[in-house]
Order: sequence, then C-alpha cells, then structure tokens
Amino acid sequence: MSNQKSLEHEIKELIIEALGLEDISADDIGSDQTLFGEGLGLDSVDALELGLAIQKTYGIKIDADAKDTRNHFTNVASLAAFVTARQAA
Amino acid sequence: MINFNIAQWRAWAPGLETADDWHAWSRAPVLLPVSEASPDVSFLPAMQRRRLSRLARMAFSVGWPLAEGLQDLPLVFISRHGETPRTLDILSDLANDQPLSPTQFSLSVHNAVIGLWSILRNETSEMTALAAAGDGLEHGVLEAATLLNEGAPAVLLVITEEQPPEAYAGWIDDVPFPYALGLLLTPGDEWQLELTSATVQPCTTAQWPHALNLLRTLLTEQGACQHAWKNRVWNWQRKP
Repeated sequence: MSNQKSLEHEIKELIIEALGLEDISADDIGSDQTLFGEGLGLDSVDALELGLAIQKTYGIKIDADAKDTRNHFTNVASLAAFVTARQAA
Repeated sequence: MINFNIAQWRAWAPGLETADDWHAWSRAPVLLPVSEASPDVSFLPAMQRRRLSRLARMAFSVGWPLAEGLQDLPLVFISRHGETPRTLDILSDLANDQPLSPTQFSLSVHNAVIGLWSILRNETSEMTALAAAGDGLEHGVLEAATLLNEGAPAVLLVITEEQPPEAYAGWIDDVPFPYALGLLLTPGDEWQLELTSATVQPCTTAQWPHALNLLRTLLTEQGACQHAWKNRVWNWQRKP
C-alpha cells in the first residue's frame, strides 16, 4: 500500500471510530465519496467531531473559519492530502 | 387533585423487556445485576441511532411503541440525573485540558432526548424535559395533567434514569439499576393523584424509585400507593 493509500485507510478508520459508524467498514467508504450531505450522509456535528479527531490524531490545527477548510473535508482523498501537506509544513 | 387514565405503559430495564418480565418482577421485585445491556432501537435509522446513549435508547424504546399511530402527541420527559456518563466524560476532558467532543456536548443537555424525539418523529407538539427531585414522576404527571386539561387527547410521559458512573456513587443513591417507564396518559378518572403535606419519616419512603413502584401498583392490581419525598406526600388512587 502506498503512503497515500495507507493514510486514506487510516482516515477511514478514524471516521468510523470517531463518528460511531458501527454498521460500516473502511472498505465501504470510497476515497472519493462525498462525506457530508449526500454520499456518506454525515452532518454538521460530524464535521466538528471529525475536525477534532483529525487535530488530535495528527497534531495539526484546523481553522474552522478558513474558506478552504470546507474543500479539505470533501472526501477522504482530500483529507489525506490536507493532512500530508500540514504535516510536511 | 388531578384525574387521568393510564391507557398504556411500556417499561425497560436490563433483562426486563416484555410485559411478562415486568409482571414477574412486580410480584417479586429484586435488584438487577449490573449490566451494559441496551434496549433494541433498530426501528430508528442507523445514522440517527448511532449517537444515542443508553438513556436515550431507553426513552425511545418505551416511548416509540406508545406513540405508534398518534400524531400531535405532547411529551413530558423526566430524568432526575440525566446523562451522567456523558457529563462525566465531558468533565474529565475539561479536567485534562482536552477539547470537548461536540457530539457529547450537544447531547448532554437535558432536553437533548426530546429534541431528537421531535426530529425523528417529525413531532412539533409541546415537549418538556423535567429534572425534579425524588418525586419527578409526580411533577411530570402534574405537567401532563395540565396538557390534558388544555385539550390534548393524550400525553406521553417518559421517565428514565441511567446507572450513574462510580464517581457519583457518593451522591446518587436512588438509581438501583437503569430503567425507563413510558405512560400514555389520557383524560379520565381511573386514577387520582393528590398532594398532601406531612413530615415524612425516612422509613415510609418507597424502597424502589416512584416510577417502578407505580408500575408495581399498576401490575399487581393494587388500589393505591403513596410516594413521599421531603415534606410532599403523593397519594395515588385507582378508581375501584
């Protein structure tokens, strides 16, 4: 598994655990699947919870008001890219 | 003095799920073993039920079947101690300088259950969340009676308590085990509840929480029961 793929898998596990998605597994979440609204169907409380889990797990800071934050949370692939970029910074 | 009918009831505690279970328990009440068991709420969509604590699951499991087919059904939700496990989690995070979980925080408020009830049932009738002292049941019934008096054809009353975490053991001594009772109250005069004032001797206070004691009275066909809390004595009387 490439680093990118393994980070994506890790983020899927994080989503399942942090948001209590007991009925699905990491394989059920597509890396390009939309997370909020349609797609996986997560809501605004999930967004806050996931933001917190990402910050805690990867030791990065997320600015909730920044305008590109919404884009980073589009899907698992964009989240992985965001985490990689922030950790490199 | 207030009058009403108890049209239907539902109750849940670990290991006590059916009406037969409760009839047997009412005849020979015992302390239940500590259990992590939670009631089945698979009638709720998975995405909605995933965040529900056991307290919320208990409330939904007794309330949902009673509300079946009824629209515009006001709800009186009663819990003296509420979501104590969530409260402790949040306080522990605060004490450890950890950020608070938005999910825990949003569901820790006392009216979280009625908010979820409203959303999941698309119910916009009047709903109240009460936290009274040891006689929350009676205060809740009083609230329900006022709604009936205003013209509601039925009022749903749900009273529930969660087993508090060990850290609260020194303060909370009135939850022998987790439980929930749902009553569908309708206008009528089968039951009468009257409040009197008296100096209560500790030995006259009920051994079981009022909600469970009332259920025993209901199921063992007794005509009356008396619940005392501080200087308030509540007399329940069934029409003979």
